[in-house]
Amino acid sequence: MRPDFYVLSWNDLLVSLLFIACSLFLIKKWKLGLENTLLIGTVRTFVQLTLMGYVLTWFFGQEHWAFMLALLFIMIVIASYEGTRRQKHAIPHFFPAMLVALLGSAILILGTILLFILDVEPWFSPYAAIPIGGMIIGNGLNSTALTANRFVGEMKHREREIETLLALGATPKLAVHDAMKASIHAALIPNINAMMTVGLVQLPGVMTGQILAGIDPIIAVRYQIMIMYMWFTTATLANMIMLAIVYRQYFTSKLQLRRELLREKA
Amino acid sequence: MSYIISFCLCAIYYWPMENDLLFQFEDVHLKVDDLNILQGLNFNISKGEFVAVIGASGAGKSSLLRMFNALTSPSSGKITFRGGEIDSDIQALRKNVGVLFQNPVVFEGTVRENLLIAGRWDQSISQTLDHEILTALDQVGLVGIKLTHHARDLSGGEQQRLALARTLLNHPQVLLLDEPTSNLDPKLAREIMDQIEELRGALNLTVIAVSHDHMLMRRYAKRVIILSHGKIIGDGDFKTLDKSHAFEDAGLLKNEVTDAT
Repeated sequence: MRPDFYVLSWNDLLVSLLFIACSLFLIKKWKLGLENTLLIGTVRTFVQLTLMGYVLTWFFGQEHWAFMLALLFIMIVIASYEGTRRQKHAIPHFFPAMLVALLGSAILILGTILLFILDVEPWFSPYAAIPIGGMIIGNGLNSTALTANRFVGEMKHREREIETLLALGATPKLAVHDAMKASIHAALIPNINAMMTVGLVQLPGVMTGQILAGIDPIIAVRYQIMIMYMWFTTATLANMIMLAIVYRQYFTSKLQLRRELLREKA
Repeated sequence: MSYIISFCLCAIYYWPMENDLLFQFEDVHLKVDDLNILQGLNFNISKGEFVAVIGASGAGKSSLLRMFNALTSPSSGKITFRGGEIDSDIQALRKNVGVLFQNPVVFEGTVRENLLIAGRWDQSISQTLDHEILTALDQVGLVGIKLTHHARDLSGGEQQRLALARTLLNHPQVLLLDEPTSNLDPKLAREIMDQIEELRGALNLTVIAVSHDHMLMRRYAKRVIILSHGKIIGDGDFKTLDKSHAFEDAGLLKNEVTDAT
């Protein structure tokens, strides 16, 4: 028999703290020195998600496009800030680059999903826009933050290659092509691998959540397929927009590599 | 009428000189992080010259060399190339002014892929025929190398020659050498420099070579510019400058001079 709903009470949630207690015990026993970080992480997960639950409940009651767009924009600003914070290298104008990359990919992909795939009525219904938008922004953030780090590492590693190409008459874009290719590859391969093994090795979170919430697995699978395609496209699009802005920061208008930026410590 | 005649006479007198002038440096300074790398450089370089830029390490030689193909721009002052601003068309300039770096960059791939790397953006290079590639390899003394050979498997000297051949496929007028032989043994260094000197004659190249090894350079260069702490302290032929203290002032050993030639 299929249950309609598994309701999780606050008490049930308290029991799940046992997982953390187990981890904490093992971490202490192995003297890994992660206790404080784990405690902070545990509290932050609880506080952030609980607050988000209340915010979403309030938001879902608003049913106004301006509210939905404002929330998505705030999420993008926070993600851009977080992406900037994660950089090992001081990349000039990285915050606006992230902002444009996430905004661009969110508008294109979320817009397509809301208007043409799910045919959401009204299009700004927060029940679809906020969770899907959140996935797009979160995935875009993770992917671009990694790619940017890798890209600057590649530029440092290939500094002489880049200058040789410039000296042969290449434009900056062509001179950094191999560095871009290597960093985008590194970012997209985990996404492709996930597409290869999804369903065989693990059931993805969204699908698991939907099945737990009582949705027919066939429908849940369809959502998951759409999400996998969406993830890959978000990563591709956000990375390309971000790199198109970032690589330019490393060259002068006279097609010269700003070598001082590659030597600067974060 | 007399104005016209005198104008024509002036034009005839100055025309070949203007035509021969390649680079003109006027009060060129380079400042990086409050460090004065180059200070007030003034000189000209004419077509067909072989100029050695000599100085101790840290004298500013490599920074100066990078200015000839606009990989670095001066903080102040003016550089012209063939009478126009050097940075008016940088891609064209860089095709015209090839460079051979101290450690040649050899890209992942075959000898052919390395030679035709500029074909990624330049159609005239991507359409280069095999016999033209072989001619370029022959010009740099790389005979008997297969075009399908993996370029990174070549020896240091062969990689340097490969880089030279790659530059020559751009048909440059000027060749910049940045300590091109400092990582090679003396015999090989001399062979490569002999090859470059031969090319200079055959292709009517202008060569500007940066080196700390004035012993090697005096075999090839007719003119030497001596740099010390970012300033030119000598500019002329080796024999004249040997009579001055310029080499010693630049921190270069005088006793090496007697062994030369």
